[in-house]
This record gives sequence, structure tokens and C-alpha cells, in this order.
Amino acid sequence: MKTWLVIFGVALVTFLLRASFLLFANPHKFPHAFRQALTFVPPAVLAAIVAPGLLMPQGTFDPTLANPRWIAGLVALAVAMRFRNPLAPIAAGLPVLWLLQWAMG
Amino acid sequence: MTIPSPRDEFIAGARAITPVLLGAIPFGFVAGVASVASGLTPLEGMALSILAFSGIAQLIVCQLIAANSPILVAIAAAAVVSLRHMMYSAAISPYLAHLPARWRALLAFLMTDQSFAMTPMRFNEPGDRSNRHWHVLGTSVTLYLFWQAAVAIGIVLGAQIPATWSLDFAVVLTFIALLAPAVRTRADLAAAIVAAGVALAAAGLPYRLALVVASIAGIAAGMAIERGRRHK
Repeated sequence: MKTWLVIFGVALVTFLLRASFLLFANPHKFPHAFRQALTFVPPAVLAAIVAPGLLMPQGTFDPTLANPRWIAGLVALAVAMRFRNPLAPIAAGLPVLWLLQWAMG
Repeated sequence: MTIPSPRDEFIAGARAITPVLLGAIPFGFVAGVASVASGLTPLEGMALSILAFSGIAQLIVCQLIAANSPILVAIAAAAVVSLRHMMYSAAISPYLAHLPARWRALLAFLMTDQSFAMTPMRFNEPGDRSNRHWHVLGTSVTLYLFWQAAVAIGIVLGAQIPATWSLDFAVVLTFIALLAPAVRTRADLAAAIVAAGVALAAAGLPYRLALVVASIAGIAAGMAIERGRRHK
């Protein structure tokens, strides 16, 4: 039940955001600072998702070698900056993680 | 010169999006796998994809449902990662403002990073523009259908992949793949670093609010750097 509420809620907000200016507003009347803030949404939000995924995989801060995820993540980040193909970091990061997990037993 | 018919425009749009499918199909596959890995049923995962049609929103919702976040936090997080669609909406509305509301609603529902990028490209080509909204529809519908197929395959196969493969890590890797091209300037970099730092420092906050706090801090840092650069 809860999951379905989330699904319908997300469907509604994603549509409203997409429709915002196409349906409801005049695009030329947007404050400059707000438009500028919107341009920083992708780097800020994505980094805020990635950092805990790499350094807090079990919910607590773990920058040690016992946590292979941040190492695999760094490799993936380097690959992502070098190659623009969105598949490259996945193709590089997963095998590195598997290798490290295997090496640690 | 003859005006391209709606059908010509639609087919040209479908053709133009083909190279982009190469990137979207694996992403859709990962989104399908992630929904299963996060504990959504196949029906829930498919419904989320059909109704929200946004890889990033789908991934973050899966992650938050897996973490048992409150409903409003999951919806708010999806809204924050979808804020860029508002920018897109503003950017393409000058090309589509003349269309009836149901056309604009349909193209809004189908809007993606890819269709947004292609809309000004097609409209700025020389020649008659009167049927070019069909070009946008052709790109959007094609991507929509291939996306749903990729998600469905991900859901079917994802249920059979053992947990020891750590496929949930593919979700984080997908975000890395999106993050790298999003960082183009020093201000972008500042936004990313501050957001990452705050996300770790504020991780103890209840209701997964760290994501919201970190995003706002990152955006503020980016704007501060941008302002400093302009005032030099």
C-alpha cells in the first residue's frame, strides 16, 4: 500500500515538474537566481547520493580497506571522467568490486 | 520546398533518437534490476516506470523504499532529482507554446533529458516548422517504448540474479555515470564536493533528510563560487 502511494505521488510530481512551464507559466518571467540555482541541482544531488553509497554502505562511515565500495567507486569515477559512455563506469566498477570482494574472501 | 508531413517528422524523430537508445537501454535495465533488488514487486516496478518514466527518479525511489523511508521523503527526493525537468520545461516552452494544452501535456509527460536536448536542435534547423512537434513526439514515444522494454527485461532478469553479485552497487555506479558529465565548471565541482561532504556529515539526520540538506548546501556552494567568479 505504502509503495503504491509513493508510486502515484512520484508520478504526479514528476509530471507536474515537466509540465510546469509548458502548461502553467510564462518562461520569461523566471527570477535569475532561481534559474541559476536549478543548474546546480544535478551535481549537488548526484554527489549527495553517491557519497553515502560509497562510504556508508552499511549505514556507518567506513573509509577503510574493509569497505571495497569506495575503491571501486573511485575507479568508476575516473573511468566516467575519461569516457563519456554511461556504460563505462558500470563496466569498470562492478568487476573491481567483485575482485576486491573475492580477494578479501 | 514541401512541408514534411506529420508522419515524416515522426519517423525522422524516431530515427534521430536511435543512437541515444544505446545509453538508455542499459540504464533502463539497471532501473528494472534495482526495483527488484529494492524489494518492489514486478508489478510495482513496472508501474513506477510507466507512470514516472524517469531513470533517476525511479532509482532514487527504489533506494528510499529499500531504506524504508517515509512516503513524503521518497516523493520529495524524486521531486528534487526531477527539478531539472522544470528547467527543461522552461527551455523548450517557446517552441511548443503555440500547441493545444493536450499536446503540451503529452509532450511534458514524455519529456526526458534526451528529448529535451533534441527539441531545440530540430526546431532550429532551417525550413518549415509547422509539423515539428511530431518530430518531438517521434523521439519521445520511441524512447518511451524502448525504455519500458528495457525495464521489463531488468525486472525479469533481476529477480534471478543472486545477491552476492552486489547488483545494487550498479545503482550507485549509474549515479556516478550521471555525475561525471554534470560537473563541467569549478562551481559545479564545488556544488558536488560540498553536497558529498554534507551528505556524509549529516547522515545521522532522521527521515533521510541528509539528502535534502546536502543538496541545498551544494547548490548554495555552487552559487557562491559562481558569484565570486563574476565579481572578479
